[in-house]
Amino acid sequence: MSNSFENTSAHRRRPALALLLALVAMLALAACGDDDTVGGGGGGGEAEVAKAGPVRGELTISNWPAYMDTGKENTVAEFEDATGVKVDYVEDVNDNAEFFGKLRPQLERGQSGGRSIFVVTDWMAKQMYDLGYLQELDHADLTTVFDNILPSLESPSFDPERKFSVPWQSGMTGIMVNEKLAPDIRSVNDLFDPKYKGKVTMLSEMRDTVPLVMKADGVDPAEADKQDWLDAIDKLREAAESGQIRRFTGNDYNQDMTNENVVAAIGWSGDTSIIENPDVKWRMPAEGCILWSDNMVIPKGAPNTAAALAWMNFVYRPRVQADIAEYVQYVTPVAGVDEVLRQRDPELADNQLIFPDEQFTADCSTQPDPPGSEEDQQEVTEAFQDMITGQG
Amino acid sequence: MSGAWRWLRRNALLLYAALAVLYMLAPIIVIGLFSFDQTSTGKLDYRWSGLTLDYWREAFADESVNEAMITSIQLAGLSMLVSTAIGTLMALALVRHEFRGRKASNLLIVLPMATPEIVIGAALLSMFLIYGLELGFQTLFLAHVMFSISFVVVVVRSRLIGFDRSLEEAAADLGARPLTTFRTITLPLLAPGIVAAALLAFALSIDDFVISNFNSGTTETFPLYIFGVSLRGIPVQVNVLATLLFMVTVVAIALVLWQQRRAEKMAASAG
Amino acid sequence: MTALRRRLVPYGLLGPGAIWLILFFVVPMYFMGEMALRSGSLDTGGFALTWEWANFADALSGSDEQIVRSFVYAGLATVIALAIAYPLAYAIALRAGRWKLLLLFAVVAPFFTTYLIRTIAWKTILADASPAVDVLQLLQLVPQDGRVLATGGAVVAGLTYNFLPFMILPIYASLERMDVRLIEAAKDLYASSAKAFLKVTLPISAPGIVAGILLTFIPAVGDYVNALLLGGTGQSMVGNVIQSLYLQQRDYPEAAALSFVMMLAILAVVVVYLRVAGSGAFIGDEEERA
Repeated sequence: MSNSFENTSAHRRRPALALLLALVAMLALAACGDDDTVGGGGGGGEAEVAKAGPVRGELTISNWPAYMDTGKENTVAEFEDATGVKVDYVEDVNDNAEFFGKLRPQLERGQSGGRSIFVVTDWMAKQMYDLGYLQELDHADLTTVFDNILPSLESPSFDPERKFSVPWQSGMTGIMVNEKLAPDIRSVNDLFDPKYKGKVTMLSEMRDTVPLVMKADGVDPAEADKQDWLDAIDKLREAAESGQIRRFTGNDYNQDMTNENVVAAIGWSGDTSIIENPDVKWRMPAEGCILWSDNMVIPKGAPNTAAALAWMNFVYRPRVQADIAEYVQYVTPVAGVDEVLRQRDPELADNQLIFPDEQFTADCSTQPDPPGSEEDQQEVTEAFQDMITGQG
Repeated sequence: MSGAWRWLRRNALLLYAALAVLYMLAPIIVIGLFSFDQTSTGKLDYRWSGLTLDYWREAFADESVNEAMITSIQLAGLSMLVSTAIGTLMALALVRHEFRGRKASNLLIVLPMATPEIVIGAALLSMFLIYGLELGFQTLFLAHVMFSISFVVVVVRSRLIGFDRSLEEAAADLGARPLTTFRTITLPLLAPGIVAAALLAFALSIDDFVISNFNSGTTETFPLYIFGVSLRGIPVQVNVLATLLFMVTVVAIALVLWQQRRAEKMAASAG
Repeated sequence: MTALRRRLVPYGLLGPGAIWLILFFVVPMYFMGEMALRSGSLDTGGFALTWEWANFADALSGSDEQIVRSFVYAGLATVIALAIAYPLAYAIALRAGRWKLLLLFAVVAPFFTTYLIRTIAWKTILADASPAVDVLQLLQLVPQDGRVLATGGAVVAGLTYNFLPFMILPIYASLERMDVRLIEAAKDLYASSAKAFLKVTLPISAPGIVAGILLTFIPAVGDYVNALLLGGTGQSMVGNVIQSLYLQQRDYPEAAALSFVMMLAILAVVVVYLRVAGSGAFIGDEEERA
C-alpha cells in the first residue's frame, strides 16, 4: 500500500489550519455582529393583540398527531369550504418541550415560522406567554368561543382571563390498567407493588407523574411545596433504580400496553380508543386524577390572525366540535356537544372519559407547575430529569 | 460425520451469510406481513387481527403518507447525488494528493460524525435564521448533504487506499487526457465504493429525524410524519408503502442487472 | 500541467465539500462553542457570555456513568456488527457472482424504512411474551423470568442493527476489488486457508474494516434513540442526557459543554484506536508514513 505522493513537508500544515480558523472567525463575526446575550426577552415585551379582519387567504395550524377527525370532509375541509381560507394543517407537535425547543429561536426573533396557531399544554402556553412570544386575544373577536366554552374552563389559574389561550381539548391523567393481568390496581401507589416489578411504566411528563405520586401519598398538589415535589421524585428514583418502573415514556406506553409488556401505566384518558387490547382500560385513581388542557395560541409574528380567530370560533360550534370529539375521544371543552353526540351514538354521550361529570372528577387536581421562584422550579425540573436519565 | 460435516464446513460461510441476511430482513418481513393485517385503527403494535388485502388495494389512499414519502424520496435522492459527488472529490483529494491543510480537512470530516444530532440540529437552526433562509425543503437539503458528506468520504476513501494505479498510468502513457483517464479508468474502478457510499447517503437522509425536526419548518418528511403518527397508531398504508419501497428497490436493481447481462451476452455473441 | 495548477488541484477537489462543511457545520458549531461558555437562563433575560468554564465541570459531574455506558454500548455494538458484517460482506463481494449488487441492495433496502418502523417491528419480535424470547430463554441467553426489552442488551442490539449498513458497506467496497484468483494463489502458497486469509484477504480489506468500525462506533456513542425506545430506566446514554439538558431543562450552555466533552472523548478514542490499529486510513495518514 504505497502512496506515490510522499509527505515531504509535514511542517507546512500549521499555516493552513490558522487560515481555516481565520476564515471561520471572519464568517462568524460577519454573521452575528451585534448582541451579546442569547435567548430570553423574546419578541419584545410589548403586548400585542391578535387583529381581526376579513377572513380569507391562507392559514397554517400546528397541532398534535391524531388530534383531528380524518377523511375528505373533516373539520379542516369544512372550514375551508365555509370560509374560502386555504388551511395548511401540520401535525408537528409531538412533545411540548421538543416543539418549543425547535421553535424558540424563531419566536425569539418575533417569527412564527409561518404558523398562525399552535396547540400546546397549559404550562407551555404560560411559559411562552411569559417570555413574550404570544399575542393576546380580544374576547369580542371570539364570541362563539366564549358563548360555548365550558364554565369550568373559563378561568384556569394559568390564564385566569383567557387572555392568550383557548382550550383545544382537555384530558385526564390517571392509570391505564390491563384488567386481566393486574385487576387489583386502583391507586397510583399500587404501581409500586413489588408484585408488578418491571411491568409498570410512568410518564416522562413531570407535571403528570409527580403530582399523581404526591396525591397518592396524601399531598394536595395545589398546596405542595418544593420539598413535597422533591420527596415524590425521590420515591420515583428509588423505584426506577430498583427496576420497579420499567421505563419513563411519552405516548409510546400505548405500544407496551397493547403488547402486554406492561400491565399498568400512568396514562392519558383518550388513549383507550387507540389501544387495540380489549383488556386495557383507563381507570380513575382512587385518589383522583390530574386535569389538563391543550390550548390554541397565536404566536407573535403570526400571519393572517383574522383567519386564526375565525378558526377558533369555528371549532367551538357544537356540531363541528362533535365531529372532533367523536374521533379524538378526549374531554371536549365545548358545551352542548353531548346533545349533538347523543343523537349519533348515545354510548359516547354517556362516556365519562369524554363528558366527565363533577362527581367523577371530584378528587382531581389541575395540572400544577412546581411551586416557588424560577430557581426553585429549575431545581425541581433538574431533579426530575436527572432521575429519568439516572444521573447522580 | 464425514459427508454432512464436510458439506457444512464448505458452506459454513454461506450459511452464516444467509442467517445474517435473514436477520437484516427480519423487520421488513414483519412489516410486510402486517401490511395484510386487518385493523380498525392505526397500527400501534403488530398483533395479528385478520387477513385483508384492503390496504394494498388502497395503498395510496392516505395522502399525508404519500406526500411525506414523496418529499423524503426527493430529498434523499437529491442529497445523495450532491453529497456523493462532493464527498468523492474530497476523498480523491485526501488520498491522492499531498497539500497543506490536510490534517485540518481530516478533522473537518470526522467532527460532524462525532457531534450529537440534536446539537447539529439546534446549531444549524440558529444559523439558518441568521443567514435569513426560510425553513423548508431547501434547509433540509443543505443539512442532509452536510451530514452525509463525511460518511461518503470515509467509504470512498476505504476503496481508494491501496488502489492499483498502474492502469491509470498506462492510460496516461498512451496519451489519454486526465479527464478521459478519470472517466474511463478511475471512475469504473471506484464504482463499488461510490455505490456503497451513495446507498449510505440515501439511507442516512431518508432515516433522519432529529436534525430534520429542527430545520424542516412546516415541510413533512417521512420520518417526521412517522414519528408523529407512531405515537397514536401508524396507518397500515405505511407498512404497505415501506414494503413497496423495499420491493421496488430490489426489483429495479434486478432488472438493471438482467438488462446488463443480456447486453453483455449480445455483445459477446456479436463479437 | 504547470506546477502551480498541479498544486491547486487538491484544493479544487476539496473545495465544494470543505465550503459546505464550513458554512453548515463549523460556523454553527462555533456558536455552540460560544454557548458552552455562557451562563444565565431563558427565564431571566437570556444567556450572557461570561466565559463560564465551570459549565464543562458541571456537565461532567453526574453524567460520568452515562458517558462510560455510551462507550461500552457503542463498543459492544461495533464488535458484534463487525462479526455479523464481515462474513456477509465477504459472501456478497466474493461469492455472489454477478448478483452481488442485487444482494447488497436487498440487505441495505430495509434501512430505507424509517428506524421507527423498524424498531417497532423489533419490539414486536422481542416482546416479553414472544416466541423469539422463549427461544432465547431456552438457550439460556436470557434468564427464565427475564426479558429482552428495556434492558442494556436491547439497547446494544438496537445499536448493532441500526448501524449495520455502516459496517457492511465500507467492508464490501474494499473486498470487492479483490481478485478471487489471488486467494487461490495464496491458498497454494500458504497451504492453509486460514493463513491465506490472514496474509492476503485481511490486509486488503483492512481499510474497509477501519472505516466500518469508525462509522459504526462514532455515531453510536452519541445516539439516544435506541436507549430511548429500547432501554429501560437504567440505560440512559450521553445522548439522552444532552437531549434532556437541551429540551427539558433548557440549559443550553451545559448541553453544549457536554456535547463538546463527548466529541473530545470520541476523538481521543479514535486517535488511540488508529495508533493501535496502525492505520492512517482515517485521519492523519501522515503519521503512518512519517
